[in-house]
Formats: sequence, structure tokens, C-alpha cells
Amino acid sequence: MPSRLQHRLLAMLFLFLCLSAVSLRAQVTTPVVQRAWDGHPDLNGVWQAIGTAHWDLQDHPASAGHPDMGAIGATPPGQGVVVGNKIPYQPWALEQKQSNFENRFTDDPELKCYLPGVPRATYLPYPFQIIQGDQKIMIVYGFAETNRTIHMDKDNPQPAPIDSWMGRSHGRWDGDILVVESSEFNGEAWFDRAGNFASNSLRVVERYMPMGPNALIYEATIEDPEVFTRPWTIRMPLYRRLEDQPRVLEFKCVEFTEDLLYGHLRRDPTR
Amino acid sequence: MNWHQNQLCLLMMGTAMLVLPTMADAADYHHVHITASSPSEAVNWYSEYLDCQPISDRNDAADCDGIELVFVVQPTMGSTQGTGVNHIGFSYADLATKMANLEAIGVRGSGVRLQRFPDGSTLRDVPGLFKIGFIFDPWGTRIELVEDSEYLGFHHIHLSAEDPPATLAWYRDTLGGQPASLRGQLDGLLFGDVWLFASQHQEGTPATTEGRAIDHIGFSVTDLDMATDAMNDLNVSFAQQPIVPENARTSAKRAFIHGPDNVRIAVVEAGFAGVATERDRVDVAATAEPYETPQTPWGEPDLQGVWTGNSSHGIPLERSRDLTDVDTLTPEEAEARRERGTLGSIWGYEREWRDTTLGYVKTAPSTQVAMITDPPNGRMPPRTARGEELTAQARTEQAEIRSRPAGGPEDLSPYVRCITRGLPRMMMPGVYNNGLQIVQGPGFVAIQKEMVHETRIIPTTPREPLGPDLTTWLGDPQGRWDGNTLVIETKTFNGRAPFQGSSDDLTLVERYTRVGETRLEYEFTINDPTIWTQPWTGSFHFDLDNEQYDLVEYACHEGNYGMTNILSGARAQDANSP
Repeated sequence: MPSRLQHRLLAMLFLFLCLSAVSLRAQVTTPVVQRAWDGHPDLNGVWQAIGTAHWDLQDHPASAGHPDMGAIGATPPGQGVVVGNKIPYQPWALEQKQSNFENRFTDDPELKCYLPGVPRATYLPYPFQIIQGDQKIMIVYGFAETNRTIHMDKDNPQPAPIDSWMGRSHGRWDGDILVVESSEFNGEAWFDRAGNFASNSLRVVERYMPMGPNALIYEATIEDPEVFTRPWTIRMPLYRRLEDQPRVLEFKCVEFTEDLLYGHLRRDPTR
Repeated sequence: MNWHQNQLCLLMMGTAMLVLPTMADAADYHHVHITASSPSEAVNWYSEYLDCQPISDRNDAADCDGIELVFVVQPTMGSTQGTGVNHIGFSYADLATKMANLEAIGVRGSGVRLQRFPDGSTLRDVPGLFKIGFIFDPWGTRIELVEDSEYLGFHHIHLSAEDPPATLAWYRDTLGGQPASLRGQLDGLLFGDVWLFASQHQEGTPATTEGRAIDHIGFSVTDLDMATDAMNDLNVSFAQQPIVPENARTSAKRAFIHGPDNVRIAVVEAGFAGVATERDRVDVAATAEPYETPQTPWGEPDLQGVWTGNSSHGIPLERSRDLTDVDTLTPEEAEARRERGTLGSIWGYEREWRDTTLGYVKTAPSTQVAMITDPPNGRMPPRTARGEELTAQARTEQAEIRSRPAGGPEDLSPYVRCITRGLPRMMMPGVYNNGLQIVQGPGFVAIQKEMVHETRIIPTTPREPLGPDLTTWLGDPQGRWDGNTLVIETKTFNGRAPFQGSSDDLTLVERYTRVGETRLEYEFTINDPTIWTQPWTGSFHFDLDNEQYDLVEYACHEGNYGMTNILSGARAQDANSP
């Protein structure tokens, strides 16, 4: 039989959870938002996701990584960011995802310092900087010299010159929410280190919803009729980096992949 | 309509029309004007490969077996294909030998590109006619070579028409060609002994010839006023009424009319000697009004937009010792310089792909003699003793590396490895993908270079510099506004992508100044006391191209087949050497 103390603790926990929920809602609905010159939320600055979405978008227990890397390479456990936790793969695509996972130590584009695509660039474990201009918003990501231009000035989306890893992005303001629609991807990018993926029919609608000056809720709805049976959504907070003068430092990772990619072609092969 | 019957002469294109020596018996004289981005190179090309003769005291025209080709300083916006003028034709008595000779030349430099038929051959025998083959000149003009012993030399102009019989009828009625049939197989018009043919256009309406390798075709008449009256009677649409062009070589007149199938046609009066150039060139220096730099809504100078360095491509870093006393090149010299640089560096690429897809030749090339402006002699200052030593050492190391097949990626440049071109090299124009996008937010300027997709984030308010142990390929930048000029000082480089032998002691100062609505001056100062005895400065410019230019994602590393191929090749070399 639980002790009185245990009852009290449970009650306190319950109260705490209720209060947390209420306060979270309060923050979402009436945030104190920093404003830009035009009255829109000011997203300028350096941001970063915290969590394990870059390992696996879905709920995942701790698991072993590459045997040579011990605990450093292990996957920490994490709660999923997929709303409903289910990714509605078509049967063939689920098989492909599983195959991707099995071959992740050779096939993951992140391993090779390839451009990460959308939305993966957002929640890789590196900071990114938003430069919010009056015509364009540029996002410069910490990984692999990734950059992305969000065209705020084109009402009618123009076709991209070519399909690309990062796709083409058009943005608009829906009240205080920055809505970005991206498409024309090349279908090469993955969503995480667990092998979740899409094709070049991918269309992503992102919502950047300010929760206050230093945090926002990031939501991305993923549509790809070639791969999924219906659209699905991921949601997570993004945090402003609060160091004094935070920076996105140059991380040119190409040279760290050359052994992996070309080691077998060296005069003295390393692979 | 008899004014034209014996008095027309078929010409071709070029915004400049040319000298028509005599119109007494036009049936014997045909004159062709071709648009090319480098007239002198074009004269050489047509002389060398299609047996034309240079014309004395003209560096923009060649005589092809009695036909004059005139080349105009104008960027090629794409080849002739898809327009209403598909190609021009030359006839040779022994086509197999001719094609073999052309094939031996290759595409490198101002080479010859051959079109292969699906079976891989370059020649085809057309039953009832003769052998034919196709080549392209370096400016995108498609040329048919035929073996028609009856009509040697310049042979025909071949139109691509929505309704070929109607098109030929229009030329007959309007310009007076003689209906005839080539060996009873192919109907056309004869202008003198040069044919005009028309074939069914593949799909839809042909694209306009204007701005393409064959910009327009030209016909000459003895009296343009009379010809204009006659054409008005036929309801011919004029793009430009007869005028005496301002910079014409003589005072004769010229008009432009709209032909069928979007073909632009010039009609010139006999004796008209063409214009020197019609190219609009923006002379920034001559602009009297100082340019007022726009401001961002939050009150900083606004440099935002998509810029390209295309027009600066070809400017050498140092002034040639042959050009000591030259202030600027002539536009023609600048065209030829860029052309040489381009042909030399991307000889294996399809010309049309480069011109149209990459938007390379949309702007007149800079006439700047060299990038270096200080020292005033346009050359790098002397190196320090230590600088000489390090430079010699680097040269020896590089020579050693290049003396053998690459052992691994590290033996290749950071650029080949898709890491970076380094600074300031990454800002400099190359043959393609010269896009520069600038986006600003309050206190920050993002400078994105298309080539290998690199983005620099420049703070314009002071911040704590990085410590000496935190080095990077592109260094630690600190920006500020000096009036309307963005000044960026960058240091703490890792020194692994040196510029002209610079060391990790380099401090780079860049100045970005908007000097006109569409022009951004870029200046760089190299201050590296370890290597050079004094700082030195160079400059070039970018042009705004918001409307047409779109930066592509230059996913260099992701598609670096070059690296795999270089190393595979190196291993094959290793295997073959004893």
C-alpha cells in the first residue's frame, strides 16, 4: 500500500504536469515575441534543436552503434517527434526504410557529408543561423556548408533551376507563424540516422511558431504520395542559442569523409 | 514586284550589316553576316576550317568563296537550333575528306564540334541528292556540309518553318528569290546561286532568331525607300522603319522586318557598310550622377540581390607586361580575351549548354586590363626573403606531387576536393556558376557563392574575434559599414587554401561598394607581411541579375565523380608502370 508520502508526491507530480500543460499552452497562445522592423516575429539569430530526432524521428530505445565507437557511437534513447509516432509508409517503402537502417554505416548521406535536405537540416545537432531580410530569408546550417534561401518575395512559386538536396523554398507569414513550403527535392536525402526517407516527390510544409523571444515550435508536415499513404507531421521546439555572440562555425566535413569514400582508391588503400 | 528580282542579295545576320561591294548583278553576289561573341576568333575559325578568306582592313568579316561573312560583337544566347533559321550550308567536292579533316581538329579551343548521326557516323548519303554532314561553330551556328558539285562554296540557308510552302512563297513575294528545285528533290528559292530552303519545324512555333547565334538574315536592295513602299503594299510588318544607323560606316539605310517563323530580317540599301557595334555598354565611369545606395528598411546600405561575376571572367590577376601603357581593352579585345579563356578551360563542354543553361554570356566582358590596382604597375609586390623561401618550397612540393599519379585526395587541391577555393579566390569569377547572392538581416550580411555552395556570415557590428587556435578555411570575418561600403576584415585562416602563396598570417580586407543600380564593385587587399613586402590590392565587379539568374545548388562533393575518376585513373597508371 502506498505511503502518505508517495500519495503526496503523486499528487504534486500530477499538479506539476497540469500546470506545465497550462503554462505551455499559455506560452503558445500569448507569446512575448521579439519583433522585426516590419512587425513580423524576428527570427534573426542562431538556433538549434535539442533532442534525439537526428538519431530517429520515432520513439527509440538505446541501442548499440558502430562497434568501434563504444558508448560514443551508441544511440541514446529518445521520445519521437512524429505526431502519433507512426510514419505511414507504403509497404515497399517500409522495407526500404529497414534496409536503409541496416546499411546506415555506409549509406547515410550524413556519414558522407552530403547536404542533409529538409527537414533534417533543422534538427541535426548543429546550430543554424537565420538571416531575415526583407525579400529573402536565408538559413545557414552548421553542417556541410548547407544553406537555403526562402523566397518571401515570389507570390507564384517559380520552378527551381534543377532538383536539389535542399529543394526550393517559398515562405509567407500566417500571422506570427512563418510558413515555408518546399519541394523540387532530388530524393536523395534521409530524415534521420534510422533510415527514414522520402522520394523526389517530397513536399514539406514547415511552420515556425514563436513561443517567446528564445524558443519556437517547429512543425514540418511531410507529403510524398510515392512513399507514404498520407501526410504526417513532426513537431519539436527550437531554441535560441543564448551565448554572448553565438556563431555558426565553419564545419567543412568533406575531408573527414574522404577515407570512407576514396580510401580504397589510395595508393596505399586504407579500406 | 520587280524591284527585287535581280537586285537582292542574300545576306545573313549580325546586328551589324556590312559592306556590299556592288549590286550590279546581285545574282552573283551573296553576303552573309554571322553573329559571334568574338569576331576576330570567328574570322580565324571560318578561314581555317571552311576555307574563307580574311578581308584586308576588316577584322570582323571573312570572304567565303564570294560570300561575305560578317561577325558581330554580340553574346550568343544559344545556337541556331529551335529558331526559324536552322542552319547554313557549305558545299565541298569531296565531303568525306573534308569531314575527316574537321574531325581531326577536335573540339578543344576554337575547335569544331561534329554532329553524329544515330549510327555514330558523321556523314550520310541522301538518296537522289548527295552526302551531307553537320558541324557547329564555337558560337552555336549549325552548319550543314554537303557534297553538291553543282554549287560549291556557300550553299544555302535552311529555314525551319511552320508551313514551309507558305514561308517560301513569302520570301518569293517579298524578297524575290527564284523558285527552283534542287535535283528535282528539294524545292527552294535561289538567290543568285545560293539556295533558300524551308523544312517543317519539329514542334510548335520556332523561337525568335533575335539574340541567337544567327540573329537575323539580311537582304540588300539598291533603293530601300522603294523597297519599303513595295513591302508596305504587301503588308510586311516592320520591326524598325528605314533609318541611317548612328554608328554606321556609311550613310546608307537599314530596316528590320518580321519574317515568317519569327525570323528577323534586315533589309539594307546597297552600299550600306554596317555599323561598328550596336552593343549597349554601360560606362559606369562616365555616369555623372553619383549613385545613391538604397537602404534596407532597418537603415543599412542595401547590397541584397543575385549578382554574377560573369562579366569579370577573364580579367587576369596581374597586368601583362605587353599592356604596360594600356588603360583599358577595347570591347573586341575583351570579348576575345574572355573567349580564349573560356574555350581554353571548358573545351569539352557543349557550347549551347554553357551559354544558355549557365547564362554565361549575358553581359559584356570587362575591359579592365588586370585585377591588381595597387601597386600601380598591376603586379604583385616583391616577396620577402621568407616569402621567396616558402614559395619555392611550395613549388617544389607541388612539382613533386604532380610528378606522379595522385596518391589520395590530399594530393589534389581543396577545390578539386570540393572543400573550398579559399579566400579571396572563392569570390572570383570562373567559367561558370558565378552567382553571388547577398541577403541581409539587421547587423548581418550573408554572402553566398554558388560555386561549391559556400556561405559567409558577416557581422557588421563588432564582436569578439576567434582565438588563434580556432582556425578555419575561410577565416574569422569582421564587417563594418564605411559609408555605403561594406568592409570585411578576415583573419585567423588555417592557411590550407593559400592565395598566390599566402600564409596563415594573411589579413584580407574586402570592400563591397554598390556603384550603380546593377553594379557592385569588389576590392580585395592582401596583407600578408610574412610573404609580401607590402600589401596589395585588386578589384573587379559583379552585375545584378535578379530577374534571370537563379543560383543552383552546386552540390560539388555529392557529385564528385571527378575525384573517383582521378584516383581510379591514378591507380591504373600505377598498375601499368613498372
